[in-house]
Amino acid sequence: MIDPILIPWLVAAVPLLGALLGFVVWSQPEKLKVWSVTVTLVSLLAVLVSFLKLTGTTEGLLFVLLLPLAACVSLLGQPAHEEHRLAWVITLVCLCMGLGILTLPSPIGPIALTLLLALITFLLYWHHDPFWGPSWLGIGTYGLGTLCAGIAAMTGSAIPSLLACVILVPLVPFHYGYVAALTRLPGSLPSFTVLLLPAIGLHRMVTVLPTLSDTMVSVVIVLALSGALYGAIKALAQSRVRLLLAYGSLSFFSVLWWFVAAARTVRPQAAVFLGSVALVTGGLLLAWQVIRTRYGDDVDPRAITGLAAPMPQFAVLTSLLALAAMGLPPFGVFAGLIGLLLTSSLTVSVAPLVVAIAWLAASWYILDLVQRLLFGRKRPDLRYEDVHQSEFASLVMVVVITFALGLAPINLFVGASQPTGARATAESVSWNR
Amino acid sequence: MFAVILVPLLPLLAALIVLVGDEASRQQRAKIAAYPIGAAFLGAIVTLWWVATQGPITVRFYDPVSPATLAFPIGFYVDRLSAVMVVLISGVGTIIYTYSIGYMYQDPHDRRYLTLIGFTTSVLLCMVSSANLMMLFLFWQVLSFMLYLLAHNHAHAATLDGAFRTFTLLRVGDIAFLSGIVLAYQLYGTFEFQALFAKAAETPVTLSPWPGFEISGPTAVTLLLFIGGMSKSAQFPLHIWLPRSLYAPTPVHALLHAGIINAGGFLINRLAPLFGLSSTTLHVAFVVGTLTAILGATMMLAQNDIKKTLGFSTIGQMGYMIMECGLGAFSLAVFHLIAHGLFKATVFLNCGNVIHKARQDPESPHADPREEEKEFSPLTWSTGFITTLLIPLLILLATHGVLRIPLLESQGTVIFLFFIWITSSQAILTLTRLRAIASWKVSSAMLLTLLFVVFVYLFAVESFTVFLYPNPDEVASYFQAADLPNWLFDSMVVMATILTVVSWGYLYMRAHGHGRMMWVPGWVEGLRFRLYVIFMNRLYMDELYQALGRSVMRIVHRVDKRDARWTE
Repeated sequence: MIDPILIPWLVAAVPLLGALLGFVVWSQPEKLKVWSVTVTLVSLLAVLVSFLKLTGTTEGLLFVLLLPLAACVSLLGQPAHEEHRLAWVITLVCLCMGLGILTLPSPIGPIALTLLLALITFLLYWHHDPFWGPSWLGIGTYGLGTLCAGIAAMTGSAIPSLLACVILVPLVPFHYGYVAALTRLPGSLPSFTVLLLPAIGLHRMVTVLPTLSDTMVSVVIVLALSGALYGAIKALAQSRVRLLLAYGSLSFFSVLWWFVAAARTVRPQAAVFLGSVALVTGGLLLAWQVIRTRYGDDVDPRAITGLAAPMPQFAVLTSLLALAAMGLPPFGVFAGLIGLLLTSSLTVSVAPLVVAIAWLAASWYILDLVQRLLFGRKRPDLRYEDVHQSEFASLVMVVVITFALGLAPINLFVGASQPTGARATAESVSWNR
Repeated sequence: MFAVILVPLLPLLAALIVLVGDEASRQQRAKIAAYPIGAAFLGAIVTLWWVATQGPITVRFYDPVSPATLAFPIGFYVDRLSAVMVVLISGVGTIIYTYSIGYMYQDPHDRRYLTLIGFTTSVLLCMVSSANLMMLFLFWQVLSFMLYLLAHNHAHAATLDGAFRTFTLLRVGDIAFLSGIVLAYQLYGTFEFQALFAKAAETPVTLSPWPGFEISGPTAVTLLLFIGGMSKSAQFPLHIWLPRSLYAPTPVHALLHAGIINAGGFLINRLAPLFGLSSTTLHVAFVVGTLTAILGATMMLAQNDIKKTLGFSTIGQMGYMIMECGLGAFSLAVFHLIAHGLFKATVFLNCGNVIHKARQDPESPHADPREEEKEFSPLTWSTGFITTLLIPLLILLATHGVLRIPLLESQGTVIFLFFIWITSSQAILTLTRLRAIASWKVSSAMLLTLLFVVFVYLFAVESFTVFLYPNPDEVASYFQAADLPNWLFDSMVVMATILTVVSWGYLYMRAHGHGRMMWVPGWVEGLRFRLYVIFMNRLYMDELYQALGRSVMRIVHRVDKRDARWTE
């Protein structure tokens, strides 16, 4: 029998060990990719085997399951090219850190978070674009995040912890790091970090939220509502796919911030919502990677049209991901949002209206993006090639996971909680005169 | 009666049969798939019989005490209303699918199209047999997306543009619907229809969104849900998606106009006990419905394209149906919905033939004013006058005496009768044209047909009302809730009468002098032409929405540029 205290260490050690052993096949990209994918699957297996013995919040445990899956799909969706080797290994290292932060007790978890943010800052600096302003802002934001996470690890004070949270789960004006990470990080990292960082942020929120003063909560609520609108507006204005996805998900994360700040607690529905938004954004990033692999990194999405007929598998999977991203049933984004709406005590104010606008805007910019790619006239000068096996597998996995998140009963994540119907009735008193 | 879930599953099976398989057997599979859809129709008839004799069927795959633990509380509740709708949808679905096999023959994407028809039929069947509000909303949203996909020819820019606008506009309605659901759950803590109605009736809740303004819980919930219904049923001003979706293949229109667009009417009828608690919402529905009926019908008259004409006719009919709901005549609205669905599906499936014939035969459609009677015939004019003014009185007396419908207590019935007179007489006179034929035989046939149609319609509606709502007190309570203030009601009746008399007077004078002897002020003629242009251009609503969209995008780009300047 293994000592229960050692189990989180072992779970976190699997991907790290895999990353180190990956250097054995460093010169063979094909083998390294297969090896990295295998490591993520072994990590998933390790998590499943030890799931009941892992300690932590219910939200954290959901992400412990999702992280290896997200790492796996991120790796599967990449072409086997030597340029991506480092990104694959770093993905495994990040997975190790993520699992450690979610399962290991203090102070190991906070220290691992500091190291993770430092690593992301370094990577952003390494891949920065000197002619793009947000690139520097992104580096600065994650640098600040590293500092705050470090201070929080040492002192445990509320404000640095909150700052670390608003950088991890992006909140205006601390969103530049997130936008830069999604647009500047290489290979499999954007589609993985889109889940990794917000998941850790939500996990940290559980301890941070109860310590916040009323003023701080009010500030967060105002920022969240502004962020939801800002993200939607920015997404509507984008023609570049990764920026559109970054701002679109920022809008949804801001909605999440509003819910958790107003309730001052992280409900399981918040985890479902965050996990689904992140996975779907990651999935769309992978779908865009399919296009980039075929037509080049700097391809203009407006130049690619009519993919539906010559690339039917890609079209169907991308459409399903778009449905999920727009918040349509039966996927997790919708389920999470509905869950949050039903379990919150709403009042007639501007906030639900902002949530509704963010939700409506997503239908506009996501459908516009997907429509531009899939429909319209087929270009005779383009060579069309449908998804390869590994790309197909990665996109199918994302669709299936978000579908499962949508269908799973919330009781799976709640444990022994009171019936939600009873709570809704009790809270309805606030509506009465 | 667990087998009831087979009815929505069979069209899904049909979709799978078409979808899965090799290219060689594509045509064969398309034909085989018609059988499951046909079987669904037979199953629907059996379900209707069962429900009529044994009572409602309930199948739930969740715990009704805490449905919010599942985001998708899947369950089926089939009462008489649902059973009737299921029969309509599966019946029309079967005809449309069978028609589509031939219609889409050799289309490169017929497999996708037929799959979507099967899937949409299944979604519609699930929606009308939903056990709770949340499931209804789920399929409601899926339907919005199905409409986008069913545009079919996505390589055609105008089709694509229309499909996009349809989807985004329907999403506006979806948001209102979602808000209504959330509010209903916050107030009453349930999604289950029966429990929701009971709690809403026994728990008076008053909301005060801002100081000095109060609104009752049922009114707030039903108003939001009504906006959701308005978008799907193409009510003014959310109607513009319907004409824009007319590029889709003709069978899609048949399904759209016979099934999908009825979703709004079905929603209101499904929630009739809740709507019956709010006179305000019913009055709003009456106003919106009346406005839509008038504007839709007027725009229809000014269109020069057969599909657009039918599209605006549907908008007018849907307005009429919502107006009936607003009058508390819920069963009448369902009856209308079914009659219109069958009628419009037939017309749409035939309109391709009409276009084809018109292209082949330059004499078709036949319309030569020179062949009309040159002399004024008092006979035809008198026929019209009797039809419009004397027969209504006869019907009123007969209704009151024979059918024993309490006219004095139900304003809705009176207004409904008014509309029957005007529309049916107009329809019949339009068919024969006022000056074309002057014959006693024709006039007698017209009068008798009108009497026959109206009485049969009244009997059918009355029987249908008893079938749908066996408890007469329930029907009476809806009428009572929808009662308009007496002064308003009297004004409407008087105004309708004056309008009818003036219209006939105008027609008389024009017919008598072939338009030459009647003096009409210049500004009236000018106004007539201006109005014609405005209605032909559909009140410039499309341009208005486009301008709104452009303004939003201008603001969006301004914000984006300012933000980009700040970050550089």
